[in-house]
Amino acid sequence: MIAYILRRLLILPFILLGVTFLVFFMMQFLDPVQRLSAYIKSPEELKNLTTEDLNRLIKRYGLDRPLAVQYFDWLKKVLKFDLGWSEVAHQPVKDAILNRFPATLELALFAVFPVIWIGIQLGVISAVHRDRLLDQAIRVFAVVGWSMPSFVFGILVLFLLYGVLGLFPPGRLSLWAQNIVSSPDFKAYTGLYVIDGLLNGELSVALDALKHLVGPIITLSYLWWAFILRITRSSMLEALHKEYVVTARAKGVPEKLVIHRHAKRNALIPVVTVAGMMVLGLLGGVVITETIFDYPGIGRLAASAAQQLDYPLILGITLFDALLLVLGNLIVDILYAIVDPRVRLE
Amino acid sequence: MKKFSLVKWFFVLSLTFIFSINVFAEVKNPDTIIVATIGDVHTLDPHFAYDTASGEIIYNVYENLIAYKGESVTEFIPLLATEVPTVENGLIRDNGRTYIFPIRKGVKFHNGYELTPEDVAYSFKRCMILDRTGGPSWMILDPLLGYESLEDLVRDKAKVSSWGDLFTEDGKLKPGFEKVMREIYDMIDKAVEVQGDKVVFRLAKPYPPFLNILAQGASWSAILSKRWCIEQGDWPGTPEEWWKYRDPQREKDPLYERMNGTGPFKLVEWKKGEYVKLERNENYWRGPAKVKYVLIKKVDEWATRRMLLENGDADAVYVPRQYLPQIEKMKGIRIIRGLPTLAIQAALFNLNIKIEGNPYVGSGKLDGEGIPSDFFNDIHVRRGFCYLFDWDTYIKEVWNGEALQPTGIVPKGLLGYNPDGPKYSFNMEKAKEEFMKAWNGEVWKKGFKFTILYNAGNEERKIAAEMLARNARKLNPKFRIEVRGVQWSTYLSDLTKGNLPLFIMGWLADYPDPHNFVQPFLSSRGAFMAYQGKNAIELAKREFDPLIEKAMTIGDSKEREKIYFEIQKKEHEYAPHILLHQAMGVHVSRTWIKGWYYNPMRPGGDFYSLYKSEE
Repeated sequence: MIAYILRRLLILPFILLGVTFLVFFMMQFLDPVQRLSAYIKSPEELKNLTTEDLNRLIKRYGLDRPLAVQYFDWLKKVLKFDLGWSEVAHQPVKDAILNRFPATLELALFAVFPVIWIGIQLGVISAVHRDRLLDQAIRVFAVVGWSMPSFVFGILVLFLLYGVLGLFPPGRLSLWAQNIVSSPDFKAYTGLYVIDGLLNGELSVALDALKHLVGPIITLSYLWWAFILRITRSSMLEALHKEYVVTARAKGVPEKLVIHRHAKRNALIPVVTVAGMMVLGLLGGVVITETIFDYPGIGRLAASAAQQLDYPLILGITLFDALLLVLGNLIVDILYAIVDPRVRLE
Repeated sequence: MKKFSLVKWFFVLSLTFIFSINVFAEVKNPDTIIVATIGDVHTLDPHFAYDTASGEIIYNVYENLIAYKGESVTEFIPLLATEVPTVENGLIRDNGRTYIFPIRKGVKFHNGYELTPEDVAYSFKRCMILDRTGGPSWMILDPLLGYESLEDLVRDKAKVSSWGDLFTEDGKLKPGFEKVMREIYDMIDKAVEVQGDKVVFRLAKPYPPFLNILAQGASWSAILSKRWCIEQGDWPGTPEEWWKYRDPQREKDPLYERMNGTGPFKLVEWKKGEYVKLERNENYWRGPAKVKYVLIKKVDEWATRRMLLENGDADAVYVPRQYLPQIEKMKGIRIIRGLPTLAIQAALFNLNIKIEGNPYVGSGKLDGEGIPSDFFNDIHVRRGFCYLFDWDTYIKEVWNGEALQPTGIVPKGLLGYNPDGPKYSFNMEKAKEEFMKAWNGEVWKKGFKFTILYNAGNEERKIAAEMLARNARKLNPKFRIEVRGVQWSTYLSDLTKGNLPLFIMGWLADYPDPHNFVQPFLSSRGAFMAYQGKNAIELAKREFDPLIEKAMTIGDSKEREKIYFEIQKKEHEYAPHILLHQAMGVHVSRTWIKGWYYNPMRPGGDFYSLYKSEE
């Protein structure tokens, strides 16, 4: 197992290299002036820029150099842990990612439970009540969520929870909580406000942070349930017809035990993979949900980086996401081996 | 039993929540003013900033020598100076070439340093030395040194073709240029001088809008603490290697994310891309502000901003014009309309379109399938298009009636605005007449085909272009214009290549003087002329430059006005662009915000005057 993990980790740099090279390669289709749009963000900023000035800016940022030169320069800097400067985030790329990641991580951590656990429960119920009313109802409910665009559902949730009921506001913290967090007495251990709030003994801050997570979590849950549900349901249906389940039933094992101990455990194996990928997706940021709930995570950052062609930031986030994906996949594989002893990681 | 209690709890909780929301009639967050907007702060350095989002922060943290009086853009009050210079009080001398400012005593910067006349002189010299590409330093350089940039200055004095020619590969000054660099430094040094408790500005030429350039609202004239700046690693105020401090990269500028002003608020935190938080300066020399904190948040999504406003979690929000009807009936909201902005939008003709590899000009010939490079060089083509624009519909549809049709490049509210000036109106007959004269009748006979681009997301530009296209087709089915939205990066690239036959640009006043509008749009050295091609530059040199320069040598405003009227008459005659609109601003806030007033030159809220109270 250790050899397997090491082997996977050794491939990591090559994957990262490949991914960044691809992104860099795609940038070649853009001319230097187009890439300058990361530095001049709107027509208003052309106010006092002559064509000479534009050429000078292109030179300064090295946008006119051959692609290979630019790529190797970038690589050299990355090896020194310098990802460059982001015009869009107004700070070094590394800082931008590190500043935004805790928010995304917090959202992902708290979304995992309702999304996956409830999704699995729904799937099991569906499978057990196959083709009956309950199954149909759950499936319709979930498919509606799956097919609803996130910007529609997100706004609907925000409107109901905040606009009408006045609960669960957008943002990451309330004003008073923000004041506590940015005061010098408050120590940022993790950047996750729920955990930091508890560690600092400020229960109210932790609760406030949780309150702000409700809207995005409801949105994400509803959008993802169908996905988890379908995998669980079909794999559960398959398991329910396996010989060991039939045997268990024949032995007179109570139906509850048959479902939960015999069938469900085995049915969950494919779900692990899917759930793992989903968590990785969440960690990469959820653009629309973050935008609607004014939640300052990686997703929003990535979207503005792409829109404004801020290539140091695009590359930085690509690198970061690739890293997450490879490490995450590794963890999923290990989990897989633990859940299913038949799988050997040799 | 257990289930029942859960359901019961749910009801009790819901009822509590429902009641709790109907109760909050009182002011939310009475100590803090919260603004939710889309603007993105670029820098906190007043000499680097040239956008309104950064300007708003700087306006409330730093102070200038003088400020606009309330809503006026022509009257001033002294701020860090104790008097506003006039010819009568003897502080403007030598026919407007010397300005003297007595400096206020006992004012302290946020870190406790006391304001001195040295600080004032240092601030203006730093602004000139910083001179970042595309930045605001030209406004100080032009009146004081007579050059719009240090680059222009070294070209003239050192006879090189660019600033870069002065330096070796590793950034060292090449031998032989020491003397000229010292000479330039002396020019900068002598332009602003400390005399006792006064600061004296010596202008290279009389410059009528000089006081406007210095007035609050303009971040480039903010006063910094010399000692503090040096402590941050900024220019030490000496001639040694002063050029190293020119045109810094944004992130390497020592004042990029730090502030130390004398103003009513001090910076608490700039969380980049999220918010800026300010706190009241308790020792402010005019007395502390009424609110303790100001929070300016970036909230991209309109629906979210709307709900924040509705629930009272934001006191003022940015509202795109098309969404105004959504909030008109909202309770506790105040909408103030009809605020004249000092901004003009125009569609500019390119008189020398690049043809090679240009996808927007069809065949590149006048054969009905494209347009030739100098298509718009024919005055009748330009006039024809001017008659094709339907202002009434455009202003009604796009602006809900909250915009004006300009009568010339000088907007309403400034000297030189001529309400009776000649203007084009939507007139198919006249358009036909002009197009029939164009290119000896060839245009009318053969027709044309080209593309107008707009940067995607800008609805007003899209609609303006589509209206033009529709009306052209109605006039003559052979007149074909395609309207296409592209990413800003593509737009920028095609604009600079000279590919765009017609492009829409806006200009927001730097200072409230007609020169600030005629210069960019009509002078041969203007910012937009370069994109209109060499024929346009020739036209400007011939027709506009002499008048623009003449207007700047005259102090008497009646005389100046006459020249601006004449310039705009010529503008109408030669039609280098279609003047689309001057927008009327709208302010949206909670009714509990009090003390708000409008000044078109202010880059955002004046939080010193604001407070929160239900009645």
